[in-house]
Amino acid sequence: MIEFVNIHKCFGAQVVLEGVSLTVERGQVLYIIGKSGAGKSVLVKHLVGLIKPDSGIIRFEGQDISGWRERDFYALRRRCALVFQHSTLFDALTLLENVALPLRKHRKLGPGEAGRRALGYLAQVQMEHLAHQRPAAIGDGLRKRVAIARALTLEPEYLIFDEPTTGLDPVSALRVDRLIRRLSDEVGVTSLVVSHDLRSIFGVADRVVMLYEGKVRLDGPPQAFRDSEDPVVAQFVNARPEGPMAL
Amino acid sequence: MSAQQPGVFAQARQTVGVGLHLLRCVLPAPPVVAASRAMPKGAVWQQLWAVGNGSLVFLVLTQAFLGAIFTLQAGFQAQRILGDTSLVGPQSLPLLVRLIGPTLTGLMLATRVGTGIAAEIGSMVVTEQVDALRLCGADPIAYLLKSRLWACLVMVPLLTLVGIAAAFGAGMLTAQLVFDTPPAMYARFEAVGLVDLLEGELKAVLFGLAIPVISGAAGFSAHGGSEGVGEATTRAVVNASLAVIVLDFTVGGLVFLVAR
Repeated sequence: MIEFVNIHKCFGAQVVLEGVSLTVERGQVLYIIGKSGAGKSVLVKHLVGLIKPDSGIIRFEGQDISGWRERDFYALRRRCALVFQHSTLFDALTLLENVALPLRKHRKLGPGEAGRRALGYLAQVQMEHLAHQRPAAIGDGLRKRVAIARALTLEPEYLIFDEPTTGLDPVSALRVDRLIRRLSDEVGVTSLVVSHDLRSIFGVADRVVMLYEGKVRLDGPPQAFRDSEDPVVAQFVNARPEGPMAL
Repeated sequence: MSAQQPGVFAQARQTVGVGLHLLRCVLPAPPVVAASRAMPKGAVWQQLWAVGNGSLVFLVLTQAFLGAIFTLQAGFQAQRILGDTSLVGPQSLPLLVRLIGPTLTGLMLATRVGTGIAAEIGSMVVTEQVDALRLCGADPIAYLLKSRLWACLVMVPLLTLVGIAAAFGAGMLTAQLVFDTPPAMYARFEAVGLVDLLEGELKAVLFGLAIPVISGAAGFSAHGGSEGVGEATTRAVVNASLAVIVLDFTVGGLVFLVAR
């Protein structure tokens, strides 16, 4: 279980999170939604130690990780992977080497074994035929699929997806949605998904949390999100340009 | 909007932090930490080639022209005041070895190599590739900077020797062509002492240490977008060049006080 308790985070004068509290149950697919700049990515990055909270507590399976040092996160990052909004593949490595890197570093596998396993993960996202290309040689959508393969290599118990379907064609987006659902249903992976994609939210989510002005505005199942009479939530779910939601 | 630049003390603190972290990375560590600090396979060779071969032509040309200019100006003055250019070689050679060779090499590499390091790391920072490295279990400072540190520690002293040779050769040719000074009269190697050579190479080793650490720290402090990378690159050149000059002065002064 993951708990965020009263998390505050500012960047200079800009207040991003202002007392966010939420709990993620094991095996759940939780979608975190909100307008751009609402602090969704900032919130999930706290979990893997990429950002430290100004105040508040983050508990990972009961352990308070909010004061951990970089070295303390090594073990957690083997269990909790993040797929970034932009694919963040390493330009100097081939796609295969990119996917094999966590196996080399975290699992300490040799290049042969890591490469063999990495090829299997590339096959899961239909990218094995491009294994020896460099990231610069392929498009954004394909890069994102490779980034997902890289996140799967350690067979994490927790997966964080930062806008996984943004920039993907509809078929690839649907495949990613199904992958998220399948990982939860068949393997018990807990997923935190930052997304704006309403089709994904209603098709995949067990629960939806909406952030607005640094706070949790709505927390409930997708149906509650759809039926909400809160004007901000209604504006978001109906994708209306007019409404109370501040730009 | 311009990305906010770190102040002088913040930059110094970042540089010292990166330097100390790199020092820890080359020391023995427990297996779990050592794995995260391992460099990519072949990275040192790749960087040796990039720093050494990539800088060679640029450096040889710069040093050769400087050697020629130096001899030309010294020769004109010697001819005007003494009416004799035979001392130009013996006087300029120690200066080339302990001052001009290492300093100019350091400054050239601060621009060519330092900018490359800062721009590459800076762009990886702003595109979250450095965060992705951390999540993959790699220590970004060790993964990206250690190989460059080794390459600079080896290549800067070697390139300094090559630069000195280029400046000396061009100076000798200039002396022959302009002042009719025979090579045997110009090339008076007994004018260079062991202390001169050690001073020059000590400076080169220190420059080889300072350039990747300072440039790497600038790259890791990049934020924002392409503008932030540009600012980090500028910081790398300014700080690394300044470090070269300050180290030059400090080592020169210490050698003068201790060994002369």
